[in-house]
Amino acid sequence: MLIEILQQTINGLAIGGVYVLIALGLTTVFGILGIAHFAHGSISMFGGYLTFFLVTAQGLPVLAAIPLALLAGILLGLLVEILAYRPVRNANHINAFIVALGLTMMVEGLNLQLFGHEQVVIPTGLSKVFRLGGITVPELRLYVILAAILLVVAMMIFVERTKTGQAIRAVAENRDAAILMGVNVKTIPLIVFSMSTALGVAAGIMVGALFAIAPGIGEGLVVKGFAVLILGGLGSFPGAILGGTVLGITESIAAGFISSAYKDVIAFVVMILVLLFRPQGLLGRAP
Amino acid sequence: MPNPKLTRACAALALSLVAGTALAAEKKLTIGVADALTGGGAVYGLPQANAVKMAAEEINAAGGIKVGADNYKLDVIAYDDKANPTEATNAVRKLIDRDGVKYILGFCCSGSTSAVASFIGNEKAVMLVGNAAERSITTKKIPNLVRTRPPADYTGQAAGTFIARKGQKRIAVLGALDVGFYAQYVDSVERELKKAGGEIIAREVFSLKDRDMTPQLTKIRGLNPDAILVVGYVEPAAFVYRQAVELGMKIPRYGFTSGSEEQFLRVTTSEQMEGVWDLRPTELTLLSASKNGVAYHANYTKKFNASPSPSSPYAYDQVYALKAAIEAAGTVDNTEAVAKALRNLPVPSQVVMQYQPVDGKMFDSNGQAYTSNGAFQWQKGQWVFVEDLPSDSKAYSQFLSTLN
Repeated sequence: MLIEILQQTINGLAIGGVYVLIALGLTTVFGILGIAHFAHGSISMFGGYLTFFLVTAQGLPVLAAIPLALLAGILLGLLVEILAYRPVRNANHINAFIVALGLTMMVEGLNLQLFGHEQVVIPTGLSKVFRLGGITVPELRLYVILAAILLVVAMMIFVERTKTGQAIRAVAENRDAAILMGVNVKTIPLIVFSMSTALGVAAGIMVGALFAIAPGIGEGLVVKGFAVLILGGLGSFPGAILGGTVLGITESIAAGFISSAYKDVIAFVVMILVLLFRPQGLLGRAP
Repeated sequence: MPNPKLTRACAALALSLVAGTALAAEKKLTIGVADALTGGGAVYGLPQANAVKMAAEEINAAGGIKVGADNYKLDVIAYDDKANPTEATNAVRKLIDRDGVKYILGFCCSGSTSAVASFIGNEKAVMLVGNAAERSITTKKIPNLVRTRPPADYTGQAAGTFIARKGQKRIAVLGALDVGFYAQYVDSVERELKKAGGEIIAREVFSLKDRDMTPQLTKIRGLNPDAILVVGYVEPAAFVYRQAVELGMKIPRYGFTSGSEEQFLRVTTSEQMEGVWDLRPTELTLLSASKNGVAYHANYTKKFNASPSPSSPYAYDQVYALKAAIEAAGTVDNTEAVAKALRNLPVPSQVVMQYQPVDGKMFDSNGQAYTSNGAFQWQKGQWVFVEDLPSDSKAYSQFLSTLN
């Protein structure tokens, strides 16, 4: 039983890592700019597709393709902010909401046109399996978990320890006060979107390597991402990390010990229960 | 000086020949395809649509369909139903109402096919179902519907006997059990296992979009089964096979998936697939194919730059069955006569699948065709046909006739 619990926890950690990255990207945009960036899932799939293209069609090693895809993600984030969201920044919230929906359809269509409708799996060549007692950890999953931890730590250092990070947090806290303190608020959305998109691309690569990328998968991811946001607390970075991990492990344990047929249902029931007792989410601040 | 009477006679003959040829050559028959061209079902639907187009081109190149003095060339319109019931209904309505199509082929997936089957009986059209395996599609006695693929439980019965014969008693199932025909397949397997003293110890589920099967597999691993049985679409099934190896499971793996080597290798490695069994209708596998099958494989690969999926000839065969039925009925306009001709059709010589005719006819009175069933095993990078699975098409046809 203990082995099964540990195995399910490790199973859940890999997918939890993906949820964390998706949720961090979403929470950054939502917490700081107040935009429900629905296209985030489709954009992360774009990153996965791009990596697949670089590896299979251009013959790049996967370790060379990943930084290129992340760089493309950063540039794409800038474009999204400048072309899609900046024009509606000062308009009613519903405008940004509609732009987000339109952008989702556009990116989905773009993925379909550029990369086709077939499911693709990013070839990594990692097929070793580590065994410890009765627990098995595939090499690829281990690297995904480690990469997710690394990215989360890097982001936390950036946000907590750098001047730009402090500026981002200041804008999130109080935009007017940040302006008065001399923060250049015009560049903050650009930084936020590039950072968020890069995290999304990283998540897309992980999904593409662990599982598969196909039309429609991004939508599911973004729904889970928003669920994590609510579970962890809107706009809270530690909340997104905790929420993503909890959701991943809960799904895995629920499927293993209750029923795989209700895997998603059980995960969302847990979310509802948490919100009943902590409406602000696990680590969100009470209003 | 030429004889004016002879000249006039020659000119009249030439004119009548030219006119006759022109009339025969200009006739066009549009057939429709409703199938999953994108999304999860596309692994079955897209190859089916390709197969219909290829068969139509072959028929056209050979002169078309002869109806009396006319020769009809086939024109194919294909719509994407995304394996979704609403999309399939819309696609078929569009084919019938807007495009004026009377013959609709394809239909890889059961949910979307059942939706269309529910109203096709009221239409002046003929529906030819391919890979969709839900039993109820041919239990409703719809006179203008036929299906080339046998129902899933027909195959499940043979698969259950095979697994029991291998001596495995405790079987864990992992599959798309919320899809009716997969559940029917598993029920049939269970019945046969019970007869041999075996049992199904777990029924774990995945959905079409699931790619992480490790929670279910970890649970199954904890139950120590003698074997696992995987029933579902190729892509999720491929992940099950891959992740079972990653979790260190070394028990026999049986499946009901009908995927090609190429489709599995997009997800797994050949090493991870080694030894997997696929217990399914004896569909297209190069090593067991007939002469038609070998030619089909070569032509398809050349034309589409990809191997055909094993189930794709169900759709290819639909076109030749339709051709034979139209020629037998002597009409393209009277769909009732064509539907009736389909029910009385001997197996056409051009088909790829190895059908087991019932009373000498390709389709039984329910509109159902039967192929033999086979045990295929993944060996060194390819599916190898190992043996036939005994299947009694006549007995099953009688059983099917008793259902509503």
